[in-house]
Amino acid sequence: MGRVFARSAAAIALLAIAAGGAGPGAFGLVQGRGSTAAKSRDVAQPAAATSDPAPRPRIANYSIDARLDPESRNITGTEVLTWRNASTHAISTLRFHLYYNGWRNTNSTWMRERRLAGDDTATRHRESDWSWIDLERVTVTRNGAEIDLTSRVQFIAPDDGNADDRTVAELPLEQAVNPDESVSIRIAWSSRVPRTFARTGAVGNYFFIAQWFPKIGVLEDTGWNCHQFHAATEFFSDFGVYDVRLTVPTGWIVGATGVARRTTPGNDGTTTHHFVQEDVHDFAWTTSPDYLELTETFRHPTLPAVNMRLLLQPEHRGQERRHFEATRAALKYYGEWFGPYPYGHITIVDPAWQSGAGGMEYPTLFTAGSHWLAPRDVAEPERVTIHEAGHQFWYGLVANNEFEDAWLDEGLNTFATARALAQVFDPNSTVKRYFGGFVPWVFHDLPLSRDTELRALTLYREAAKRDAQSKPTFQYWPGTASAITYHKTVLWLHTLERMLGWETLQRILSTYFARWSFRHPKPEDFFAVANEISGQDLTWFFDQVYRSSNVFDYGIDVFRSEPINVAGDTGGAGSRAFSRPSNTGPPYRTTVVVRRYGEAIFPVDVRVTLENNEQIRWRWDGLDRWTRFEVERPVRARRADVDPDRVLLLDVNTTNNSAVIESAGPRAARKWSLVWLIWLQDHLLTYGFFI
Amino acid sequence: LTVTTLGAFRDGIRRVNQAPLLVAGMVLVTLLIALPLSIALRGMLEAHLGASAAGEIAADRTNYEWWEEFTAQATGLGTTFTPSIIGFAAVMQNITGLVDNQPLAATIAGATVAWLVIWLFLSGGVLDRYARQRPTRTHGFFSACGVHFWRFLRLAVMAWFIYLALFGPIYAWIFDWGYPRVTRDLTAERSAFAVRTGAYVVFSALLASFALLLDFARIRIVVEDRRSAVGSLLAGVRFVARNRRRVLGLFLLNAIAYLLLIAAYGALSPGAPRTDMHMWLVLALGQAYIVGRHYLKLLVYASETSLFQGALAHATYTAAPTLVWPESPAVETITNAEPTAAR
Repeated sequence: MGRVFARSAAAIALLAIAAGGAGPGAFGLVQGRGSTAAKSRDVAQPAAATSDPAPRPRIANYSIDARLDPESRNITGTEVLTWRNASTHAISTLRFHLYYNGWRNTNSTWMRERRLAGDDTATRHRESDWSWIDLERVTVTRNGAEIDLTSRVQFIAPDDGNADDRTVAELPLEQAVNPDESVSIRIAWSSRVPRTFARTGAVGNYFFIAQWFPKIGVLEDTGWNCHQFHAATEFFSDFGVYDVRLTVPTGWIVGATGVARRTTPGNDGTTTHHFVQEDVHDFAWTTSPDYLELTETFRHPTLPAVNMRLLLQPEHRGQERRHFEATRAALKYYGEWFGPYPYGHITIVDPAWQSGAGGMEYPTLFTAGSHWLAPRDVAEPERVTIHEAGHQFWYGLVANNEFEDAWLDEGLNTFATARALAQVFDPNSTVKRYFGGFVPWVFHDLPLSRDTELRALTLYREAAKRDAQSKPTFQYWPGTASAITYHKTVLWLHTLERMLGWETLQRILSTYFARWSFRHPKPEDFFAVANEISGQDLTWFFDQVYRSSNVFDYGIDVFRSEPINVAGDTGGAGSRAFSRPSNTGPPYRTTVVVRRYGEAIFPVDVRVTLENNEQIRWRWDGLDRWTRFEVERPVRARRADVDPDRVLLLDVNTTNNSAVIESAGPRAARKWSLVWLIWLQDHLLTYGFFI
Repeated sequence: LTVTTLGAFRDGIRRVNQAPLLVAGMVLVTLLIALPLSIALRGMLEAHLGASAAGEIAADRTNYEWWEEFTAQATGLGTTFTPSIIGFAAVMQNITGLVDNQPLAATIAGATVAWLVIWLFLSGGVLDRYARQRPTRTHGFFSACGVHFWRFLRLAVMAWFIYLALFGPIYAWIFDWGYPRVTRDLTAERSAFAVRTGAYVVFSALLASFALLLDFARIRIVVEDRRSAVGSLLAGVRFVARNRRRVLGLFLLNAIAYLLLIAAYGALSPGAPRTDMHMWLVLALGQAYIVGRHYLKLLVYASETSLFQGALAHATYTAAPTLVWPESPAVETITNAEPTAAR
């Protein structure tokens, strides 16, 4: 374990000492610029520290020293990684992620995939926009001896064989690491922070620095799980302890994963900020002289207290309450529904405009995102804040592989976001922005509910057949990966909630959370919990929604409710009695033909509503391409619905889910075409400017 | 000077008020262009709703889910059926569409060109009517339209190239080259918004300047019976240059009137219609706003004509101010027939 654990032991001791100290519980504000530390000082510690004493897998433990030069945007760093082989096999090579090389040039896999998705902006970047990370020296310490392995480092491309991609480095060791054996690797590196790509980088004097250090992959029993950097996926790594010292210009505010332990001023106008965090699987940080720093505390009768630290853009002053309340909502509802947030602190980063760093999660720290003009009745920044705070649970604690199964955390979290948002912000309204995206206009006529939140069905509909969800996420079509990852999952989780009820689904999620916190679950693990807790074999459901790209579309094809008329021979045996269809009164025969237009199968209800409001329901297994239902009653039917309770939220065409005898379609069409007429007249007059 | 500008504005109001049929006629022209497209859209919406119960929600309030479903399958005209058509958002959308140089759907672009050509044709008669300040009757109105249309068309061809430059390389220079460079390292949205507003002001000033030149070129074509598009444009430039303060003042008065109108519509606009009764209210308010916009459009013509005639009066105008005596078309015809009238 060596130096890392010696350092972390000191940190743990500090944490224990500080745990009893007074935390910044009251609302406070610290101006960023000019807050120069005169001497080394300890930073006030949170009131609530890690409370769960359960042993956790500390596999990848880092001690990092890094220095940022804002002028050149260069980072020089040294890390000591103490890594334990937690697999069942000896391993003779190590693999590292070098994410910054994804933006080294246009030949990287990340850039190629972006181009494939239609993003050709890469060629417009300036020379100073590109980033890189170079390993300068790599040594391994064994039995007290330091062995230089720098010359052995080679780049590999396990996913696509792209020889130009340098986002994964392989390090052949001089000696295999046996199961449960640890090895200490010292890496000196230099890198340049990019102009923001994929939510990490710099603009002006705002730096958001993530995926920035050489990070070891995850060794599984089947070998290394260390994917190249892809355009459509995020990250995967092992839990461990991070002990990080960051040197930045004095007066710059620093926010980072973990707790600030100490700030030490240097002799060259810089200050070193020391952060420590245990039991996390990544470390990100941000620095800027412009941040406003505010703190509040989340308190709850049954959940651990959490110190919330908000780094706010000055132009968003006045929105601090919205950020804190949204974070509170996430901690409260996720805590009550799934399980407690164990770290005792969380940092909310309000990203700078056009930093491109908004809406991203890292352990104990996340970026939200707002606008200078942020109307009150639009859930912005609340939506993104709840979502990213929620990722502390789904990603931070339950740490599935985002390269391969990004839907597992993104989908679950987006579903939970909508649910939490509905508790505190329902309804909220649609907003559109005009004049270069600066001027908002709120559509109070278009309220968003949990169903329509994030326009999930609309976005899923456009991408429904592009990929089956079971395909590894990094192999999704880059242009529609988010629709399959986020929106499809949200829709089928909503469907599952309506099938099983919230109580059951909540127990599924909380059980899954409890079992898989601080671990790396796979989809089958989630499905197994769902089957177990629901007491049903839901394989058929997951086959449809997860293992297939088929779409659901059930619809009413025929809906008639007519007097029963008989024409032709109505005589008995041996006699002939011909009648004409003249009956115009009761009884009435109502006929409903329901079709399955899509390929996917789901059992649905069919409901007919009569004019006297009597309702008749049938259950259809949904297997055949069509089926017919008939009923005879003394009154006519007025309406027929397939899936009347909207259980199947994945149905891509809901308009055909119902039919009425007297359609209001013409009235609706007239109304909306007249609204559109005014728009067109105004458009013509606006362009009349030219005459 | 202020009085003259204000006087022209007031006189413009008087001239527009004297000819309410012109306002009604122009409103009708716009309606006749827009209505067939609205009917076509109505057909699309009706077909998509079919017998669905979604129609009931869409009829009584806003059915956003159906709306998105419709948009997802819409083509052509249907793609313009977005939430931005609701209430004041329509105004925002149309202005931002123009100043942000957003492409138009082919059907809408076609309708817009047709509307512009028809207005180009009619504007000769409109200017002639406002210059003469007396009824020109149907024959006189359309005669003036016919006489000036081809001159206006030549002017429009020249203008087309200028606008092509304005919305092509000049727009690109301001918004695609300059704006990103100025804002590249900005981290505050409000600063960027200020820059963008500045860019809008610059671009709008260029547009407005050229539009003013064209306005006075057209006025000189009508009032002075000019035949040369180039000559009239240069004459327009000369007039604007010599009377820039008055022209600018009048432009600002017209711009303020426009801003007041859209502000009033913004304040009163009730959003999406709900019940049938509410729908008619929304329609009535919307049409009142559209009539107001036509009125202001014609007020620009009338007030600029008034300013020109007030600033550069001479006896040989083709479309002269009211003849005092004998007020007869025969006398006017003789006057117009004088060789000097063409100057």
